[in-house]
Amino acid sequence: MSLFDRNKPLFGSFGKPKDGLHHLGPLQQIKPPQRVFRDDEEIDYLIVGVGSAGGVLLQRLARAGFKVAGFEAGPFWDTERDWVSDETGSHNLYWNDLRITGGTDPLALGNNNSGKGVGGGSVHWAAFTPRFHPSDFEVYTQDGVGADWPITYEEIEPYYQLLEQELPVAGPAWYPWGKPHGHPYGPHPMGGVGDTLIDGCTKLGIGVSAGGPVAILSASRGDRPHCIYRGFCIQACKVGAKASTLVTHVPDALEHGAEVRDNSMVSRISVKDGRVDGVHYFDRDGNERFQRAKAVIVSGYAIETPRLLLNSACAGHENGLANSSGTLGKYLMAQAGNVILGRFDQPVRMYKAPPAHALTEEFYETDPKRDFARGFAVQTVGPLPIAFAKQMSVAKNQWGWGLRRTMMDYNHWSALGLLGEILPWKDNTVELADGKGGRPEARDRYGLPVAKVTFNLHDNDTKLIEFGKNKTMEIMRAAGATEVVQEARYAHLVGGARMSKRPEDGVCDKFGRTWDVPNLFVMDGSVMPTQGSANPGLTIQALAARTADYLISQGSAVFTANGRDLTSPPCRHSLSPPGTFTKGIPHLR
Amino acid sequence: MAPQKVQTKRLPVTDPLDGAPIQLDQPGYYEGFSTLSQQAYWDDATRKVVLQRMTAAHPILFFTPAEAATMAAVLDRILPQEDRTAARRIALLPPLDDRLFHNRIEGYRYEDMPSDQDAYRQAAKAFEQMAQTACGRSFHELETMEQETLLQSLHAEKPTAPEDAWKGINIKRFWALLVSDCCSAYYAHPWAWDEIGFGGPAYPRGYMRLEEGQPEPWEVDEQRYQWAAPADTLTDTPASEQTGEKVQSQAGQGGTH
Ligand SMILES: Cc1cc2nc3c(=O)[nH]c(=O)nc-3n(C[C@H](O)[C@H](O)[C@H](O)COP(=O)(O)OP(=O)(O)OC[C@H]3O[C@@H](n4cnc5c(N)ncnc54)[C@H](O)[C@@H]3O)c2cc1C
Ligand code: SF4
Repeated sequence: MSLFDRNKPLFGSFGKPKDGLHHLGPLQQIKPPQRVFRDDEEIDYLIVGVGSAGGVLLQRLARAGFKVAGFEAGPFWDTERDWVSDETGSHNLYWNDLRITGGTDPLALGNNNSGKGVGGGSVHWAAFTPRFHPSDFEVYTQDGVGADWPITYEEIEPYYQLLEQELPVAGPAWYPWGKPHGHPYGPHPMGGVGDTLIDGCTKLGIGVSAGGPVAILSASRGDRPHCIYRGFCIQACKVGAKASTLVTHVPDALEHGAEVRDNSMVSRISVKDGRVDGVHYFDRDGNERFQRAKAVIVSGYAIETPRLLLNSACAGHENGLANSSGTLGKYLMAQAGNVILGRFDQPVRMYKAPPAHALTEEFYETDPKRDFARGFAVQTVGPLPIAFAKQMSVAKNQWGWGLRRTMMDYNHWSALGLLGEILPWKDNTVELADGKGGRPEARDRYGLPVAKVTFNLHDNDTKLIEFGKNKTMEIMRAAGATEVVQEARYAHLVGGARMSKRPEDGVCDKFGRTWDVPNLFVMDGSVMPTQGSANPGLTIQALAARTADYLISQGSAVFTANGRDLTSPPCRHSLSPPGTFTKGIPHLR
Repeated sequence: MAPQKVQTKRLPVTDPLDGAPIQLDQPGYYEGFSTLSQQAYWDDATRKVVLQRMTAAHPILFFTPAEAATMAAVLDRILPQEDRTAARRIALLPPLDDRLFHNRIEGYRYEDMPSDQDAYRQAAKAFEQMAQTACGRSFHELETMEQETLLQSLHAEKPTAPEDAWKGINIKRFWALLVSDCCSAYYAHPWAWDEIGFGGPAYPRGYMRLEEGQPEPWEVDEQRYQWAAPADTLTDTPASEQTGEKVQSQAGQGGTH
């Protein structure tokens, strides 16, 4: 009997197959934006960028009854039509517009970094969702390097718990690192790369978390089916098993009256009498328009957020909006993301299973026996052929027949990713390519100066990467790889508009409210003072949920008063999308 | 550890007499494997994208005919295909030309590099200059080994070229760009997937055999043989052995985790 009975879908509430082909059908019935605010209608919160952070903010604020709109430079995805199981065909998921990159260790941007379109980077993330450790929030106090956060782990912990259920996160029941915790969904089965990590670590006596934590469904929930292990996560999960704010939060936001204005690029934030009164933007047809708003939240990613604030310089804010501290665009961070590749005699076929499915945080914390502060994680990755070919051309320095030969062995290779903490440094920056002050000049199609990103490794970073790389290679060898090579790279940009205890040290306070403009907020990865060696996505979403609680507690004060109330809000459990928190899902206490 | 599933059989890939490659419809160790044969199990959007890639005619619009001749010869050395039958070669120049013509970039430009368009324009000229200087003939007219020698000098960042042929270009970065464009074209093709045993598009069916390199029922087991590159090449040895020195590659550029 065929596995695919035309009339009986395998699982879940899928549509019927059509055309005699085997379809699971359009899985996400996402209704297009329905509410449309007029430009001259004063909305309460205008969110710039509907990505990891923006999607969560939009959903929370809409549920709380605010008039809220998310302006998104990219499209509202029609997942069935726009997304494909194909590397090249997924090019449009990324922010492909020009940026200039430089410094001693220039970062690759584009598909190495940020998304464009509703869901932002959560559309193409691998969905690893480890929490930060308590130590991450006081790196300066503990190690005398980097910075302290203006909040502690305890303040964000309830939001980790919330988001882990809203996404939800699959992983082991007992996660031993940082503050030990469990996960609401069961761990995933292993793929070949996970087996490599487990084998290597077990031989060396290193603990491994198998099957998560990842924001990928290990069992179906509602209209979202479980993972089918197709391995195309960073090409966007057409199945709907992997969480993105497009499927986890935006539908609920729309349901509660939010607007998502897609293909709308915000070009400048407008300030009048010391307060924001709206934004200038280019609509889908390229017309410049102005939308009035009582408050603005910038959630555009660690590059576009500083860029927008710098491009919004005006009288009284000559060095960029909310930049009286001079820290805007500074302390940009990326994690070391070296890929360590090992060849095995036995085939691996690493394209199966989600790239993210096992990791170790055994080396996360500062170890006084090492000659550097902070640490790293080792995670599974699963490069598909094009990505792998490029990695091998670098890692083995090959081309011609040598590269063809190596590629014929694709199925024999396994790949592990280092995720190393790089500290925040003042000279790692986002600036404008505006041709001034010795900077290059480059503009986008709207005539706006693009971002110029500068990245330099410092001593601690170099030592950490060297150690982490060697340790990962050791794990690969212990797993039985007969040949081990590696490619240096960087991942996950955060920082650039950091939160701080004091106005002179950062751009915004612990809720993302800028120190200079009382109704202007920043909330996305750019607010992070340090980054740990955990992938940032879960923390970004948890911070966004917390800021939403704060804004709800503040009520209309944000829209009128200039005072700053730094009282922490209660963590609201009533705002989760339906069927998530406390709704039929095992509840961790 | 599961039992070794690999079967070994020997297939000569180069003619034992003259070392010329024996041309196959499908090189690689997965005889009989065809991703395209599975297309009924792909979703519409993916099928459309992949089939279009195979059939769409791309007139060369960015490169001039002379530049196109040079670049086609360069790309043929970066990812050579003499082991493929003529009908089964994967076009490398058209996708690159199309990308440059439409100015589709990867979202950034290095501070010490011109735009992709300018870099390729200058490179096409520089390759030709290198050929003329070293051999007094056009790049595309050179013997394979001559072309490889020139490319190798570029790879080693010491191009045998007139002084300012590569001026304004960071050669390490251009090399990475060039190889990366070739990889993007070649390994996007179903024939390349068949060659390396990659399962290809997998929605909505998904994969079920995740561990120990097990093939799905519709995939095939590897059939290894002693693969050898044609005799007239310098590129089938590790790069460090080619040049006798270690070339420091630049950091990788793709996203992973
Ligand atoms: C290949 C890859 C794999 C990754 N894997 C993981 C992982 O496993 N785990 C993890 O935690 N993280 C991962 N990340 C990182 C993660 O995707 C990002 O850290 C996260 O999405 C950043 O969230 P954000 O809210 O700061 O910005 P984004 O999610 O990028 O959202 C910003 C949005 O704002 C929009 N925007 C920007 N400027 C404007 C403007 N001026 N006007 C209108 N709209 C604008 C953008 O189009 C975008 O949609 C990965 C990243 C990549 C590239
Ligand atoms: S592996 Fe799972 S989560 Fe990843 S794209 Fe496929 S179905 Fe989605």
